Amino acid sequence: MSPPISRRGILRGTLGGTVLVSESCAPPKIVGERAEAPGLAPPDAGADTVASPRLEFTVNGAARSLEVDPEHTALELVRNDLGLTGCKESCGHGACGACTVLLDDAPVVACLLPAVALHRRKLTTVEGLAPAGELHPVQRAFMAEDALQCGFCTPGFVVAASAFYRRWRAEHADREPDRDTVAAALAGNLCRCGAYDGIIRAVQKASAGAYEKPLGPEPAAPRYDARDKVTGAARYTVDVRLPDQLEGKILRSPHAHARVRKVDWSKALKLPGVAGVVDLLHGSTTLHFAGQEIAAVAAVDARTAEAALAAIELDLEVLPALVGMDAARAPGAAPVYPTRNTRKSAPNSSEGPLLPLGWDGNVRGPFKLFSTHKLKARGAVDKLREQPAEGVLVEGTYKTQVQCHSSHEPHACVAHWTAADAVTVHLSTQAVHAVAEDIAERWGLKRANVRVLAPYVGGGFGSKAALQLECVAAVALAKITGKPVRVALDRREELVTGGLRPAQEIELAVATDRDGYLQGVTARAFADAGCGIGATSTVLLRLMYAKAPKDIADWDVVNHAPPGKPFRGPGGPPIFWALEQAVDVAADRLGLDPVLLRKRWDPNPARNQLYDWALSLKTWRERQPAQSDRGRHRRGLGLAVGGWFYFVQPSARVQLDAGPDGIVVSTACQDIGNGTRTVLAETVARVLGIAPAEVVVQIGDSSFVPGPTSGGSRTTASLVPAATMAAEQLRDELLERAQALAGARGVAVAGGVRHPGGLVTWQQLLAGSPPLRFVGTRKRDQGGYFLPPMSDLAPGRYVAGALQIVEVEVDTRLGRIRVLRSHTGVAAGRIVAPALARSQVLGGVIQGIGYALYEERRLDPRSGALLTAGLEDYRITGIGDIGELDVHFVEDGYERVNGRSVGFAELVTLAPAAAIGNAVAHATGFRPRELPLRPDRVLQGVRG
Amino acid sequence: MTTLELPATLDAALGRPGEPRAGGTDLTERRRLHLSRGTVVDLRDVPGLDAVTWREGQLHIGALVTLAAVAEHPDVRARYPAIAATAAAVATPQIRARATVGGNLLQHVRCWYYRRPGADCLKAGGTGCPARSGDHLFHACFDLGPCVAPHPSSLATALLAHDVRIEVAGDREHTLASLYGDGSDARRQHLLPPGAILTGVALGPPLAGEQAAYVRAISRARAEWPLVEVVARLVVADTQIQTAIVTVGGVANLPLRLGAVEQLLTGKPATEETLRLASAVAADGAKPLAGTAYKLDLLRGAVLDALERALADKPTAAPAAAPAPT
Repeated sequence: MSPPISRRGILRGTLGGTVLVSESCAPPKIVGERAEAPGLAPPDAGADTVASPRLEFTVNGAARSLEVDPEHTALELVRNDLGLTGCKESCGHGACGACTVLLDDAPVVACLLPAVALHRRKLTTVEGLAPAGELHPVQRAFMAEDALQCGFCTPGFVVAASAFYRRWRAEHADREPDRDTVAAALAGNLCRCGAYDGIIRAVQKASAGAYEKPLGPEPAAPRYDARDKVTGAARYTVDVRLPDQLEGKILRSPHAHARVRKVDWSKALKLPGVAGVVDLLHGSTTLHFAGQEIAAVAAVDARTAEAALAAIELDLEVLPALVGMDAARAPGAAPVYPTRNTRKSAPNSSEGPLLPLGWDGNVRGPFKLFSTHKLKARGAVDKLREQPAEGVLVEGTYKTQVQCHSSHEPHACVAHWTAADAVTVHLSTQAVHAVAEDIAERWGLKRANVRVLAPYVGGGFGSKAALQLECVAAVALAKITGKPVRVALDRREELVTGGLRPAQEIELAVATDRDGYLQGVTARAFADAGCGIGATSTVLLRLMYAKAPKDIADWDVVNHAPPGKPFRGPGGPPIFWALEQAVDVAADRLGLDPVLLRKRWDPNPARNQLYDWALSLKTWRERQPAQSDRGRHRRGLGLAVGGWFYFVQPSARVQLDAGPDGIVVSTACQDIGNGTRTVLAETVARVLGIAPAEVVVQIGDSSFVPGPTSGGSRTTASLVPAATMAAEQLRDELLERAQALAGARGVAVAGGVRHPGGLVTWQQLLAGSPPLRFVGTRKRDQGGYFLPPMSDLAPGRYVAGALQIVEVEVDTRLGRIRVLRSHTGVAAGRIVAPALARSQVLGGVIQGIGYALYEERRLDPRSGALLTAGLEDYRITGIGDIGELDVHFVEDGYERVNGRSVGFAELVTLAPAAAIGNAVAHATGFRPRELPLRPDRVLQGVRG
Repeated sequence: MTTLELPATLDAALGRPGEPRAGGTDLTERRRLHLSRGTVVDLRDVPGLDAVTWREGQLHIGALVTLAAVAEHPDVRARYPAIAATAAAVATPQIRARATVGGNLLQHVRCWYYRRPGADCLKAGGTGCPARSGDHLFHACFDLGPCVAPHPSSLATALLAHDVRIEVAGDREHTLASLYGDGSDARRQHLLPPGAILTGVALGPPLAGEQAAYVRAISRARAEWPLVEVVARLVVADTQIQTAIVTVGGVANLPLRLGAVEQLLTGKPATEETLRLASAVAADGAKPLAGTAYKLDLLRGAVLDALERALADKPTAAPAAAPAPT
């Protein structure tokens, strides 16, 4: 398989060397075909089709009459025929609620509602909840309580909540509903970012009448772009509709392993409404997983494109498939990549470039570059194996499952060639700037002729950080058809190729001396990144208990399954699942408080502040001895810590334009729910002493000055210093102007310049001013970086810390684990936007709960086909599963970091699973080793 | 090509080829997956199927009554609490607002092989059961026939605990047994002939003093298909269990009634010990698949849970003009 997309990792060279770029990013020749005389009218209705039924109904208060395709859903009608794109398609089968609308005041999912059911009914979408220009009380509450992150699920939540609000207030007036009542009412809505805590609070307060009237001038929200997100006005890539836009669909391998003899698309091309086909194999003849992309078709609409896919004749030689690590490691298993060249083509599942490693059949490795004093570590472990009385040795194998990113906005792209050598690409991406560079390189275009647009992105979590095949397909199809082409994955496709965190088997040993001092850690990790390679986890052990000797190594075990991708804190949740449970076992055997033992081992100053915080918590001080409950429901408290890098993108720029029309801050960065707009507005506003809403923020466009990729926890650390610098330059310029005007030196104060004659505001100083422009850069940290910047990325000198305490209740009868409450402490420097920071922390915890308890991708063991193909079977945390959540920030300790702020999006999702594992052991004595903690595993565990 | 029929009366809806559509919450997805092709007979305009009415001491629930309406109906809650509790636990609020009694009873299995394009599944017209030899983590532990997908209808599990008649236009009246068969015919989802329309269910007279519970064993708090589900109905008089009905779902390709459990309850003192002894036989006779043995333990636990909750439930009042209990 030649790599269809760049093998360059999103960190672009943290480990040095970008050799692979040149071989994999050569401008490809598009292999494809355009339909001869493309009949771009929709295909004629056959003679046996009934006439399209006519519907009479009201939409958001207005009467409508229109004919519909009898097969269409209300979702298709609302989005395509009515253009009401606040109604989102996410799962497509009623599990996520993103398409919730009101049918005669009852919330229903539009994706499962036949369009004809609307006849003589009243339909209300998010756009119609309040009169134009006004807000529904629930919308106000969502804004004020910051009940959202990426915003993609928000309209569905708002609509469902509005129905609850109406009913609750009719029955209970101003009484506030409790958390579980709200959770029950919103059990049909899922949020992948994990903004549930704010959502519950918003709905409680709105239902109690707290948001009946506007709270001062709107928007009153801590999140800069909240209003567009709660009203459905925010346009995501999937919402883009250009004139003459075609719909692209991807033909995928039905087999996990096959040789392609022939792909014949001649019949598909002749179908009415089909405009073109492109090849996605790029010369490769072997298919390595079920769902692998083969070709893509563009047609007038999705159904025609799907019919065209079915008309493509595939001649495949089906080959035996190895699904999962056990099959791939079995004696005599045929190699997935039998030759040096095929090995070179294996997809890169990591963030960085791949280092050359040895192969033994399907096992690649070991990668052991980051061991330190490894003989000492091994010696410490070996010694205790022979002389167990000399200390404490904790050994075990820990297993984790494949976790899918499953962003609620799927991977989507709308490509439009505006000239023969210029393309505009609407893309759901974490990297408008970097992907624009990739597109320019791949198609041999000038960088200025490529424009990537992503004003709103419905989640990414690492899966949208590089050039992906949906983009390649859309750009190629748009090129050969000469029309805009949209390619958006459906949920099944998203769960196959949208991205996944590799499964891991980790053999870990922790050795202490008799006094409980850490003597060594050894770890061997085997990663199942499907047919992908480069997934590592043990390297992260270097972030923890830094003084201890470590003998660590990683292997890939390749098999016929979809390739892994970097996922929020790559490698982190698996290795912390192992390490932090082992530390608890050691504490137990040493008879020490788990916090004190960690404090003893851990020189990290950030985490030490968190240990002290944990020790001060009433929850921790008053915790019961292990296994205090002996009945059916058993409660336990568990703690785990995590450490993570922060990164800086030295090229990051922030531009500030100021003039009579106001102040505009812009950069080629994007918001994936993390709050980029807010961070920029807050930073500029803080320098000038004005309200953030007075700053216009423009992002999500690669034509702005280069901005950071939203990945690798680098956005805040990269943007804040650059924005500060630009704002300070503006401030200083205006100070000088004030001096010239007033004839006396003034001082900058909130809102303007104070001088002996009084206050002159920034607006006054800018009135009549020629346009001013300043571009701020990201200057290096004091003392430099941990490593010098390579390929435009520098790892910082500090390791940020997070500590989680989770209380669970284990139902030993039905095997269910319920999270009752959690406390999360984060030491990551100054917090720029507190409400958003809190939400991001909670989102990490909530995703961690899903990882620990529910999420699990399963493939058919023989065919390799995806079984957990929707959000019914691929279960993410629901609104009723989060318990009470508490967050604590330690803000000092980053004085030498430019801006004093670092990112923590990844940091906060590392330890929750381990904390839950420790809590389960504390509650029941059952020490879990394998994720997720499904009821069957819990029952087996507690029965012994 | 698709043909959509929108009959205006029940008579006009009868005898047409194709699949009837009520709320569409199951059929819409199957259309998208091409598991349902051809004509759809949409019951949108058919009147008279969406009422809950008493007739001669029996409660009739029309086929187009939604699960939300069943869960909230005061008579269902007061007289048939197990049915109300079951309906309230199905799926999500959005689904319950559209899904109907008829659609719930006739929906197709949720098996992840059946709903996968191209699977060689008996119910999808194939030759075998890929779940049996493949990944069947959520499948049956009572092996009643070639298909091992659990029966998808929670409502059927609740109805099985009641004296119920299934009213069908264009065919004879059915019991649940005649509607679903014995589980040996893997190719069919139910046994209604083409062209027939399920019009409603008639519930036998309520039990006075009934204490009921519904337990759904799932991993999250809500909105999941049950690993195991249990409906328990008890009537206790003078601390003796007079009547005990226990049905279970999620464990077989049919909802099952646990006669052995009922026997160990009936006539016994209403004590924790009785419930424990009775629930201990809940999985007797089960034949789990390689991956579903855990459901035996879970089933015994869920039955005990349901019995305990039923015993803690407030007894239903005796109706003013109550028909004699069955």
